[in-house]
Amino acid sequence: MKGFGIKAGSLLGVVCVLAGYDGVLAAREKEDEIARLNARVEAMEEFLRSSPGTQAEGETEEEAETDGVYADGEWEGEARGFGGPVSVKVTVEGGKLAQIEVLSAEKEDQTYLSMAEAILPAMLEAQSPEVDTISGATFSSQGLKDAAMQALEKAEK
Amino acid sequence: MERKKFHIGNLTARHRKKLHIWLRAGIQLICFLLFSSAFTAAFGGVKYIAVQLGAGEKVEWTGFTAALSGLCGFTIVFGRFFCGFACAFGSLGDFVHGVYCRICRKCRKKPLKLNGKWCAGLSSLKYFVLAVIAVLCFLGVYPKLRGSSPWDVFSMIRGGNFRLAGYLPGLVILLLILAGMCVQERFFCRFLCPMGAVFSMLPVLPVFSLSRNRETCAPRCSACTGRCPSDIQLPADGSYETPGDCFQCQKCVDTCPKQNIHCQGEEGLRGNEAWFTVVRSGIFIAVCIWIGI
Repeated sequence: MKGFGIKAGSLLGVVCVLAGYDGVLAAREKEDEIARLNARVEAMEEFLRSSPGTQAEGETEEEAETDGVYADGEWEGEARGFGGPVSVKVTVEGGKLAQIEVLSAEKEDQTYLSMAEAILPAMLEAQSPEVDTISGATFSSQGLKDAAMQALEKAEK
Repeated sequence: MERKKFHIGNLTARHRKKLHIWLRAGIQLICFLLFSSAFTAAFGGVKYIAVQLGAGEKVEWTGFTAALSGLCGFTIVFGRFFCGFACAFGSLGDFVHGVYCRICRKCRKKPLKLNGKWCAGLSSLKYFVLAVIAVLCFLGVYPKLRGSSPWDVFSMIRGGNFRLAGYLPGLVILLLILAGMCVQERFFCRFLCPMGAVFSMLPVLPVFSLSRNRETCAPRCSACTGRCPSDIQLPADGSYETPGDCFQCQKCVDTCPKQNIHCQGEEGLRGNEAWFTVVRSGIFIAVCIWIGI
């Protein structure tokens, strides 16, 4: 009974520590977000106070459409993942990467594929397929990356 | 003439033993084909947690952590049934050891065996392996050692991917492990498996794990310990001290001359353990599908 109790206690401890760790990080993230928003509000108030009468010009952000290097449209690419070919569809709108979706990855392991799919939003954010692979699901994410690269090669102007 | 109804309890001991061996082999084969990534996915969860902690990032609910939690939950309830019946690496070990022993028998040679004392000491090696990998992940060094993981090589070969350039260290380690599997049953599971280290630190409920009725044991009989791949001395009925190295392979069940060994929660099932094994495998497969392996 003693050994069982010790093991059960340590397991509970590990789970609690992980939950607490996540909780602290989540709280910190929220605080940072609040601080960031507050700073923005203050900056805006400052701006309004210093130049009364003029309209808020914050909106005239440079939207210098660089038109991108990619031609608009839907582009498909294929590459080798872990167990076989994977193919993706990249949608380019206004010269920007708007959407990347997996078309087929039949030979990939579902668990790994679901991990590897985290590379898709990373590529959208970076506006480039040149991002780090997902550790733990290296092959599948490398496959998705290669497939996106191949698709964008076709899209290059 | 009245026909006797077929009932596993009515089989002779020899037939029942055969039935158990084939049932286990069948379950292992099915799991090898369908869920061969369960082990790597669950261990991926351990590595993922270590990596996130090391990087100061949040530990999110991913496919890997789901696999880890699912298998750990299953093990807490049913003991290391996963190791004994479902793990691809364990099945590989059983297969390699079986083939080696058969070859030795054919050549009329005595199979090599590891010294019992060494085995007892080597059993703690897996905790060391787990600690080293966890620390490497925590420090963020692990991804750079990509080519040296024997599991990567194994799952690549298993997945039909033979682009093994850059994986030489992993391949060599895998071959060494295979050699070890020959000379000692469950060599990898008992000495090296980092996931096994996690499992053996889990509290296992005594309801479904193996134990023996100590009172009716023949004096100085140690048939079960001799048959056990981990040389375990089974706990007495009602004990909570489930040995961490017990793979629930159930080989001891058919070895006991007095049929003293059984799962504690199946008192009324004596002789019908096979059904219980089928039920457990069914639950395991359900868990696998649920967590998406």
